[in-house]
Formats: sequence, C-alpha cells, structure tokens
Amino acid sequence: MVLLAVPMVIFITLIFIWPVARFLMLSVDNSDLSNGLARTTMALDGWQAGDGVPGEPAFQALVADLAQAQRDGRDGVLAQLINQRLVGSRYLVIKTANDAALGKIAGPSVKDALLAKYPGWSNPALWAVIAANAAPYTDYYLLASLDLERDGNGAIVRIGEDRAIFLQALARTVWISFVVTLICAVIAIPLAQAIASAPPVLSKVLFAMVLFPLWTSLLIRTVIWIIVLQRNGPVNAALTTFGIVSEPLDLVYTRFSLYIAMVQVLLPMMVLSVASVMRRVPDIYMRAARSLGAPWITAWRRVQLPLIMPGILSGAAIVFVFALGYYITPALVGGPTDQMISSNIAFFTNQSLNWGMAAALSVQLLLILLVGGLLLFTARALLGRRSDA
Amino acid sequence: MNAARLRLVLMYGYSALLLAFMLAPLLVIVPMSLTSGNTLSFPTPGWSSRWYAELLDDPRWLSSFWNSLVIASVVTLISCVLGIPAAIGLAWGKFPGKRLIYALVAAPLVMPVVIVGVASFSFFASLGLVGNRLSIILIHSAMAVPVMLTTVMASLAGFERSLVRASASLGAGPVRTLFKVILPLIMPGVAAGSIIAFIISFDEIVVASFLSTADQRTLPRMIFSGVRESISPAIAAVAVLLIFLSGILLALAGWLQLRSERLRRKVRT
Repeated sequence: MVLLAVPMVIFITLIFIWPVARFLMLSVDNSDLSNGLARTTMALDGWQAGDGVPGEPAFQALVADLAQAQRDGRDGVLAQLINQRLVGSRYLVIKTANDAALGKIAGPSVKDALLAKYPGWSNPALWAVIAANAAPYTDYYLLASLDLERDGNGAIVRIGEDRAIFLQALARTVWISFVVTLICAVIAIPLAQAIASAPPVLSKVLFAMVLFPLWTSLLIRTVIWIIVLQRNGPVNAALTTFGIVSEPLDLVYTRFSLYIAMVQVLLPMMVLSVASVMRRVPDIYMRAARSLGAPWITAWRRVQLPLIMPGILSGAAIVFVFALGYYITPALVGGPTDQMISSNIAFFTNQSLNWGMAAALSVQLLLILLVGGLLLFTARALLGRRSDA
Repeated sequence: MNAARLRLVLMYGYSALLLAFMLAPLLVIVPMSLTSGNTLSFPTPGWSSRWYAELLDDPRWLSSFWNSLVIASVVTLISCVLGIPAAIGLAWGKFPGKRLIYALVAAPLVMPVVIVGVASFSFFASLGLVGNRLSIILIHSAMAVPVMLTTVMASLAGFERSLVRASASLGAGPVRTLFKVILPLIMPGVAAGSIIAFIISFDEIVVASFLSTADQRTLPRMIFSGVRESISPAIAAVAVLLIFLSGILLALAGWLQLRSERLRRKVRT
C-alpha cells in the first residue's frame, strides 16, 4: 500500500519541496562573496575597520581575486553584492576588476598603484564590507528584511530611516490581512446562517452561488474590480446618476479597492467554513435559551456564537493565511502605498535579481504565516476542548 | 410581522445583498464586453460583438489559449496518475509516516504562490528550463496533485472495501480490480478532482508569469499583460468567456456529486 504513494511523494519532494527549500536557503547563502574574495578575506584576517586602510598583502590578494572574478565572468555579481552593502561601489569594483585582469595594476607596491588609480579603495568601510563576508553564510539579508544591519564592529543596529522599508511593508501586510479577515468574518455569518438553516433546495442554490466566484479565476475577479470601479465604470455611473457625487471618484488603485477586491475573493472560503460548522449545530440550543427567557440577541451571543466559533476561527485562519501571501490582487488593484511583502519578493526577483533579499523576505512571510495560522488553530483547538467539557 | 419573521426576512435580504456583491461584478461585465466602443465604459455607447471577433482574429489570444489548454490537460493527466494511487494507498494502507506525507502534501496548498513562482524560477533557471512549457507543467502538477488526492480520498471514504475482496476472490488480479471495480466506483471523485486540477492550472497566473516567455504565454499571462496597459474590451470578452467556462465546470462538478451520492446509495442496498 505504501508503495502506491511513493511516486507522488517523490514528485512533490523533487518538484516542489526541493526548489522551495533551495530558494529559501539563498537567504543565508554567501558563497558568491566568500568564494569570490577568499584570498582577500584571508589576508584581512585579524584586520579591523579601526586599523585604517589595510596593508600590501590585502591589496595583492584583492587584485588577484578581482582579476580571477573578471576572467570567470563573476565580477558583475561581486560588484552588485558589494554595492548592496555599500551603495556606490559597483563602478569602482568593476573598473578595478577590469584593470586587474589586464594586469594594469602593478608596480613595486600594488597598494600604491591601486590607490593612485582608484582612491576609493582608501575607504576602510569598503574593506570592512569585504572582511565581514569571509563566511559562506550570512545573516545580512535576514537582518535587512527587518531593517537591521551590522555596523563596523559587528553589532546589530537599525538602518537609517531613509532606507527602512521592510518593517513598514511587514506591518502593512499583517494589517491588511487582519482587516480583510475581520470584515470577512463579520459579514459572512448571516449568509452562512441562511445557507445552514434554509430549506434543502434553497440551501443548495445559495451554496452554489457562494461557490461560483470561487471557481472563477482570481485574476479575472481582480480584473473585473478594476473595470467595475474605474472612472467610467458602473459604480461611478450609478453614483453620478443618482446624484450622490457630481464627479466620478478615483476608486481603483486605492486601499479601498484593495479591501473590496480581497474581501470578495476570500469571502466564499469564510462562508463555507462557517456554514459547515453551523450545519452541525442543532437549533435546539437557541430554542432552549429563548424558552428560558433570553432575548434573541443575548441567546445568539451567549449560545449560538460560541458554538459556531470553531468555524469562524478556521475560516479566519484560511482567509488570513491566503491574504498574507496575496500578490496579484494588491499588484493590480492596490496603489503604490498598498503593496505587501509578496510584491517586494517579486520586485527583488524581477527588477534587481537580488535573490538573497527575495529569499529573506520569503522566510519572513512564511514565518508570519506560520505564526498566524498556529495562533488561530490553537485558539480553535482550545475552544474545542472547552466545548467538549 | 413578528420578530422571528422579521429576522428571517432580514437574514435573506442581507444574504441577497451580499451575494449580489459577490456575483454582480461577474455579471455586469457581460453587457460591458458587448460594447461597440474602443474603451470599456458603462453604460455602453452601443452594442456589438466586435471584441469577441477580435479574440478570434488575434493569433496571440488563440495561441495563449491553446498553450493553457495543453498545459492544463497534461497537468490533469499527471495529477490523476500520481494522485489516484496515492489516495488509495493512504486511504487503505496502515504504515508509519502517514502524517509526514500529509504535511508534505499540504505544503503546496498553503505556500504563497509568489514564493512558489520565485523559487521555481530560480530552480528552473539553474536547469535552463525557463520559458519551457515543461517547467510550468511540473510546478502546476505539484500544486494540483494535493487537491486530486484529497478529492479522491473523500470519495474513497464511503467505499465498501468488501467489493475489492469479492473481486479478488472471483479471480481478478489487482490491475483488473482497479479498472473494473475501484475506478468506476470512485469515478465521480476522480472527475471532480480532475476538473479542479484543470482549473488550478488553467487559471494560474503567478508561476506562469515567472516561468513563461513572451512567445510561450498562457491565457492568464496574456490577460495580465493586457491589464497593465489600459484595459481593452477584449479583456472583458475573455473574462466573460472564462466565467462562462467556470460556470459550466461548476455545474458539471455538482452533477457528478449528485451522481456519486446516488451511486453510493445503490451500492449500499
């Protein structure tokens, strides 16, 4: 029997788990720098930024490393990685590598020759960047994804306000997902109740109507919201016809349109989750509470709500986890200030080919997803135990 | 009107409004796509089916549709080949490590697609397979197999296992039992799983946009690149056709479910 599952397990491991794990490892991978500058970092062993410009051996090693990198076609990668850590050094590294490969930096003292041609190398901060990257693994990207960095002495500090963008995006991602989850939970309950308590045929019809949007592609539903909310779309047409506004409103590419689209896209999952629990809750509890004299609203709040809470929580877990990872919807209907972590991940892959940063942000996204999902499922499990007792 | 009746009216009235919010955008796009104008607007300046004709004329729409169709069909096939035996093994077998397999299978379901897209881009780039249909097919299959597995396992839950023993005692080998006894009985589940697997691949945009190149576009990729410029009524026309398609598939899946319930009742009696 176990053999029947083996092909699927191998397939998913090779095609899915392995690529994802390999990619996530890039968040701590530093082999490009540590291999590319192996001789230099060895020569810098024991050197500290406070010592000033390093001596002749380090310069010789650097020129040898960069010449090698240029011949292997890896100087561009090195320059980019160093530039990420010390902005403005890309050009310096590439030019130096070119000259080093052509043997133009020579003389009785390589240090004097290089400094005469490229005085940029007299900056100890640049050498500190190289010295800090001797190990094949780095926490640089993971720290950067939390707006942190290491200063010259290796202590973890906050980066400058002007470069700090990731914590803000993290907070925004969690906040948007939270709001969407909350809206979904609140507005789904009466509809779920209708599905659970309607006569069988009507219940099936309502169920199919909730299911239908779920079967339509996410992209289509997102695109439709752009069309519906645009300046000459139906919503603005209705608003101006009824004289509610005189000028069409800019509804798309705002936080408002993002919430609308995300709620519409995720609502079916919440409704289905709540309805499936409600179906199993007989209405005798409500009737018992009412016959004992509780007003309807009290009976609902004290009896029905706790009974359906597991459904709401598992629906919330699904909606929250999906919302955290949303990429297409914020990218299409959100404005520039509504972008979430996932759009940063795509940005660092598509625009700047910064795999380390993309991977570190993915690790961050997976961690909050894990924490969010665990919290909601733990709450559900605790609740389940209480109602069993 | 007493309070209980009022609450009922409120509940159904509210449900109608909420369903309108969920469904109206999908419907309002139908008249908008039949515009005679050059841009999408509401109300439409006049009626015409020119944008549907445009879809048939533009080879890019047809080729992207064809691309998606091929990819989704192969994905469905792979999901069946891998998912059905695994479902049988997991539903009927007793062996250690089952939980581990479930965890493994759940990973593609909960992983944010953007991570899947970027990771598979990095993976297939290292193999030189970006821009190749195969890469999209493989990743889509990994995303679709778990759904196939759960659907088939659900249909196996009500399966009378004595039928398998009966078949064996009458001299049928395992292969014959699979094709003559097991598969016909779980067919509704397999068909429903296949429909969902097909849809997962056919509608998928994020992985496809990382892994496809301009001349290997899938249909969602084609729509996506059209949205970023200004939205042409042709996109609305595609949207209408796709909504129509998913309506048909949903009806098909519903009918299959009804049939399987009936079938199960027949087997029991």
